[in-house]
Amino acid sequence: MLTAVRNQIRISLLTTKYALVREMLNKATFFMNIVFMILNDASFIIQWVILYSIQDGIGGYNLKQVLLLWGLAAGTFGFSRFFFYRAFNLSEIINNGKLDSYLVQPKNVLLSVITSDVSTSALGDIFYAYIMAFIYKCSITNILLFTFFIITGGLILVSISVILSSLSFWFQKADMIAETGVSLMTSFATYPDGIFKGAVKILFYTLLPVGFVNYIPVGILSEFRLEYLILVFVVALFFIVLAFVVFYRGLHRYSSSNLMISKI
Amino acid sequence: MRKYLYIYKSEIMSNLQYVSNILFGFIGYFILLFVFFNLWKYLYSDPNELIHGYSMEQTIWYVIVTEILWGTVGGRKLCQKISNDVKGGNIAYNMNKPYDYVGYSLFNHLGIATIKGIIYIILGFLLGILFLRMVPSHTIITILLVLLSSIMATIISCFLIITIGLFSFLIEDSNPLYWVYSKLILILGTLFPIEFFPKIVQPILTYSPIYAVAYGPAKLFVNFSWDVCLQVFITQMIYITIGYILCKFIYNRGVKKLNVNGG
Amino acid sequence: MKAVRNIDFSVEKGEMVAFIGPNGAGKSTTIKMMTGILYPTKGSINVLGFDPTKNRRKLAYEIGTVFGQKEQLWTHLTPYDNFKFFGAIYDIPDYAVEKKIEELKELFELGDFINIPVRNLSLGQRIRCEIVASLIHEPKILFLDEPTIGLDPVVKENIRSLIKRMNKEYKTTVFLTSHDVGDIEKLCSRVIIINNGQVVLDDSMENLKYHYLNKKIVEAKMREKVNLEDEDGITILKDKGYNLKIEVDTEKRTVADALKLLNPDNIIDINISNVPLEDIISSIYRKGDKS
Repeated sequence: MLTAVRNQIRISLLTTKYALVREMLNKATFFMNIVFMILNDASFIIQWVILYSIQDGIGGYNLKQVLLLWGLAAGTFGFSRFFFYRAFNLSEIINNGKLDSYLVQPKNVLLSVITSDVSTSALGDIFYAYIMAFIYKCSITNILLFTFFIITGGLILVSISVILSSLSFWFQKADMIAETGVSLMTSFATYPDGIFKGAVKILFYTLLPVGFVNYIPVGILSEFRLEYLILVFVVALFFIVLAFVVFYRGLHRYSSSNLMISKI
Repeated sequence: MRKYLYIYKSEIMSNLQYVSNILFGFIGYFILLFVFFNLWKYLYSDPNELIHGYSMEQTIWYVIVTEILWGTVGGRKLCQKISNDVKGGNIAYNMNKPYDYVGYSLFNHLGIATIKGIIYIILGFLLGILFLRMVPSHTIITILLVLLSSIMATIISCFLIITIGLFSFLIEDSNPLYWVYSKLILILGTLFPIEFFPKIVQPILTYSPIYAVAYGPAKLFVNFSWDVCLQVFITQMIYITIGYILCKFIYNRGVKKLNVNGG
Repeated sequence: MKAVRNIDFSVEKGEMVAFIGPNGAGKSTTIKMMTGILYPTKGSINVLGFDPTKNRRKLAYEIGTVFGQKEQLWTHLTPYDNFKFFGAIYDIPDYAVEKKIEELKELFELGDFINIPVRNLSLGQRIRCEIVASLIHEPKILFLDEPTIGLDPVVKENIRSLIKRMNKEYKTTVFLTSHDVGDIEKLCSRVIIINNGQVVLDDSMENLKYHYLNKKIVEAKMREKVNLEDEDGITILKDKGYNLKIEVDTEKRTVADALKLLNPDNIIDINISNVPLEDIISSIYRKGDKS
């Protein structure tokens, strides 16, 4: 069991490495993608500087905390898109019957598929995330905690995308749902939760778990609370397990490629 | 002109089936407005307060209109199509056709834009009314002028994006250029009116395309005045001319290069 | 929707079996079920003692697949690096992979291009690499789906002889699907034909070729015009006066009968042959459609 897990991780990292090597074949484009993504993320600082010139403290966040929130959003986004890029077009892979080559390999299908490609620009997001983390508070514990939250948050994002994309096993149009669901997470992730009132806040801790990906972590980075840390970990675990369950349920209905055509 | 109308019509027909996709895309628009509504409600602690001369309703309607304009254009697709045409050699194929490539691309894209525009306008208004329970006051004449300037804004956007796409003739990848353009419009043009920016940058923004493609129509909608209207239309006329000349210029240079290289 | 029903056959170790059928007959579905890609809605499958639906991973160690147009190789890496990658997928220790690559390199004659990125290789070279990649883990069964599609005749011939050599060397069972009769004829000793989701024929290549149709084709060039008409057991396929093509049903008439009808003194040139395999196969396909 343990060797199987180790071998699986080895293969996933090897795949990521090879995919990265492929991206780096064109060095200029590679670096440009990263630099532009950093600039992209940084451009939103303008928005916040202007908003904070109207009023100090928005939704219970000061400017530095908003930048940290942005850093965390970029970090979770980048981590998930770099290591698990294919989780975000899993619907297309399912609909077009591209799982075949993974199914004949003696490895975990879901992990093999979602780690089979990387997004270069996601590296820019990760860099930007750490720049923001350093600006916020330059300490080892802070950076370690930040890294922990990027991983848990990133995995929650990946799991949500896998869960929604797996609906494609049941009906084809699920790709829209997956895309929309994932982008909703990002839309909320970059605004302080204090500006929202009422029922929406419940959503943040249930259907759209931005709370566990972004808001609680920013809270912990401002003021450490062990119980919240454990909570984030448990929630991440829950989503990961759910993702595997839903995907493998759906896999029984997988219809490969040429059958698809006859179905349409 | 009839052939352009035909291109335009067939593009509308073939895109009607994608309405469901557009509706899904609209969820993103809804959420964005929802976030902005909450954000501005939070920032306008007193409902009668004015920030940089705008009431809360005006600020939010401004975002609704600029986002309608941005969503209608859907520039990324247009830019990709143009640069694919350039790189994939499609443009050489189109060269022998009895129509102007720039005109073809413009009307082709306006077909998609029309459908999107209509849906965005309807839904944008419903959302505005849902969130704000008011619409800025207008007469039929003034609302038609806003609509006209919005159409002009869309055409200018298309010209500018086609120009960027055509840059693929000269540089390997025009994506970064499009990216810079879209960032400028999004950050400086759609989130809040030019008046919210520091005094020193305001004149620059006023003369930039942002005024013609985003600020102008939105400003006219939230607070119509004949002075501004005149100014907006003059600016838009100038930008339409500039945009078209730029497209043709880059296209002609590119085609020459193509001929030299033998396609 | 039912793609296949009650398909049952067993294959000997080291056998090369052609698994063929018209488009939509259910052969892809069958192969995909056998390799663990598709779940059957009902019933059970047993491959090498494994149920693919329950022991997909265990089965994966024992089978190799080359799915024609679908490439499994990383195109920016060299074949060598690709093979090492596949070695890792099948959890083979480094030294063992290297030994295996060396061996397969000789067998499939990859020496010239094993260190050139796959994207710079010709289609034929790529297919050879695809096959090698699927053999790294020494599978007991190799599934080949249209292995020679899109290749020119010379390269096709080359690939076929390499597959033959591999089968001789390793005793790997080969399960081949192809629309190319050449692949089937040159490689396989046994043919399973499937149509409408059922096995319609399971026989040796020999029987299929010589006994299935019991027909011979006689082509003759004559000195003088002969006037022939169809009779029991003899069908005129082509009659251009001096050039004749006759089909003889050997169950009803002998070839000698047919020759007697043509005045032997008048024959300038004659050729007696079997019905082409392609025609035999399509006649079986057509039969299946009628039922």
